[in-house]
Amino acid sequence: MNILRSQLCSVFRRPFHRQLATTARPFVPPAQLVFHDTLSAPGAKELDDSTVEALIDEANKREPKNDDLDSEDSRDKPHPDSPNFYTGRPSYYDNIVELQNAISRTRGTLQRLHLLPLPEFARKSLKPMPTVWKTPEEMTTDFETNMTISRYRRITVLLNELNEYLRIATTAGYADVADKIGSIIGMFESGKKEAFLSRGIRKPVQLDQYGRSYTFGKRKTSAARVWMIPVKSSSQGSSQDVNVEEAFGLSHAYKRAPVHVTVSTILINNIPIAEYFPQPADRERIVRPLKIAGVLGKYNVFTIVRGGGTTGQSGAIAHGIAKGIFAHEPETGVVLKRAKLLRRDPRMVERKKTGLAKARKRYTWVKR
Amino acid sequence: MYFLRPPLPVRSSQKSLQFSRHWCRRLSQAQGRLETEDDWTNFQQTRTSLKTLTDAMSKYGSTQTSQWSLRDSLHKPAKDATLSALLASGAHFGHAASRMNPNFLPYAYGTRAGITLIDLDHTLPLLRRAAKVVRAVAANDGQIVFIGTRPDIRPVVQRAAQRLGPQGFHVGDRWLPGTLTNKWQMFGYETVRSKRIVPDLVILLNPIQNMNAIQECALSNVPTIGIVDSNVDPRIVMYPIPANDESPRTAEIIAGVLSIAAREGIAIREAEMQRMRLAVDTAWEDFEQMYEQAEQATEDGHPSNAASFDY
Repeated sequence: MNILRSQLCSVFRRPFHRQLATTARPFVPPAQLVFHDTLSAPGAKELDDSTVEALIDEANKREPKNDDLDSEDSRDKPHPDSPNFYTGRPSYYDNIVELQNAISRTRGTLQRLHLLPLPEFARKSLKPMPTVWKTPEEMTTDFETNMTISRYRRITVLLNELNEYLRIATTAGYADVADKIGSIIGMFESGKKEAFLSRGIRKPVQLDQYGRSYTFGKRKTSAARVWMIPVKSSSQGSSQDVNVEEAFGLSHAYKRAPVHVTVSTILINNIPIAEYFPQPADRERIVRPLKIAGVLGKYNVFTIVRGGGTTGQSGAIAHGIAKGIFAHEPETGVVLKRAKLLRRDPRMVERKKTGLAKARKRYTWVKR
Repeated sequence: MYFLRPPLPVRSSQKSLQFSRHWCRRLSQAQGRLETEDDWTNFQQTRTSLKTLTDAMSKYGSTQTSQWSLRDSLHKPAKDATLSALLASGAHFGHAASRMNPNFLPYAYGTRAGITLIDLDHTLPLLRRAAKVVRAVAANDGQIVFIGTRPDIRPVVQRAAQRLGPQGFHVGDRWLPGTLTNKWQMFGYETVRSKRIVPDLVILLNPIQNMNAIQECALSNVPTIGIVDSNVDPRIVMYPIPANDESPRTAEIIAGVLSIAAREGIAIREAEMQRMRLAVDTAWEDFEQMYEQAEQATEDGHPSNAASFDY
């Protein structure tokens, strides 16, 4: 095939060179010269056969003119579209220029509205507006250039500045300015923004028709399913109770509001807690979330737990109970989070390694 | 210029500044967080009143008539460069005298403080010559590329290219080697065959960092204009402009002069095209009139007039 192509090239080239050899041709500035003979252009070897045939047909159809055809052709061709054409990355630099223009226009507008420069107390009052920009891979396809870290950073710095102005405009209530900025920013936001921003946010637990919460707790290899229901407080203390202080005449000494405490039950695999967990440490671990949230005795707890040993099961139940308390009373979320009770303890049994007796234990070192 | 002020204590202006500063601090302490949009509106109104007050107080004792802004050198450059403007921008500072290129000697004024001083009496006519070249190229629908690859002169080349419209291009970052000599691979077959790739003029604001571009222009027979400093051989570009290549103000002045000359060239071309179009239209009208007359003449029976219009 190569031999055939070179024969075709030589057949085509001969009349063209004969034309060039004449002195009757007027002078053409060399910069205006154009490669009509695409087949002789550098890189023409990569052309496939159909392209070669098409080019030969086109060249044969073109009638040779007597006047300087080269300068005519270059004059007829249009200018490249982008002013950044000679950078080799027109799309990328066009976007940078557009973003810079948008930033300077917005900055001017906000300065005239006395929203820039913003003092510290006003900056703290701005609405948080987290955004997720497109990944470098997505931008590579958009800009048709390889987005290296430096190029990506250049774009994201500009986008973050524009996002700050958007925050200021939306918080101050200038919807038209905010819309304009938003339309520009929208072109660079990732489609997975919603998914990314809502990552790690748990679905809120719904209470069923009886007011029960159903939550799940895990620790080591144990898994616990926990149902919690508030204890129905019946009468505010029975009339048969004897007030000892009144009997001894001490009630007037210091008045205290009587605290009516309800009594709750905790059942694990249908067995009371005291029976299922003979160790006080395990019982304490289970009851800790209720104590910290201050709802000891408020909820009846029923759990089904499987897998693991005492520590794992008690930890799993505690995790489930903490989530259940949060479902019933979201205000306790801060306290429970501080105590790290809503967190699934990621510690698992470490595997044994080769050359070691256990996960970390080494064999006795022998000098010789 | 204290002696021109009325005899007031010097502290009065400072007092107004202190007053406004004090107000700012009180303002920030008084206001907590801005919760609602009304809070923001109040905040803006307070700022507006504060600014009006400060502006009123700061004008006390003088009248500001000049509208000069620091950005003007970039956004509104002068049409012609003057000697004083070039001096003010530091265009006469060359590089170290020990590094002076011997071919630069015709443009050197002398040595002072270990650096070569550039003779601005040579710079001005050479700049005007370069401006003429740019004007002529732009008037002939030429493509002009401004190359300035430092971050401080990036906006200069961008604005200069903007002034030329579709004929202006700029390179603010690295010039990729092979842009002109390897254009088939760089831009692809379709683009090279359909668009004008080789520019008609290249203007370099920092030629030392762009020797690749100069080499490619030489190989592709593209004329070049460049700011040459004292450590550079002026013959590397076709139309050298001896000046300080490290000063952004000098670059603004020179790029401004050249881009305004190009804009003038485009305007000349546009006026010329308009004139030609008008001439062609009137010629067509005359021709049509004469043809109608000839047709009427043939109907009346005069064959000779009709034959003269038979193409």
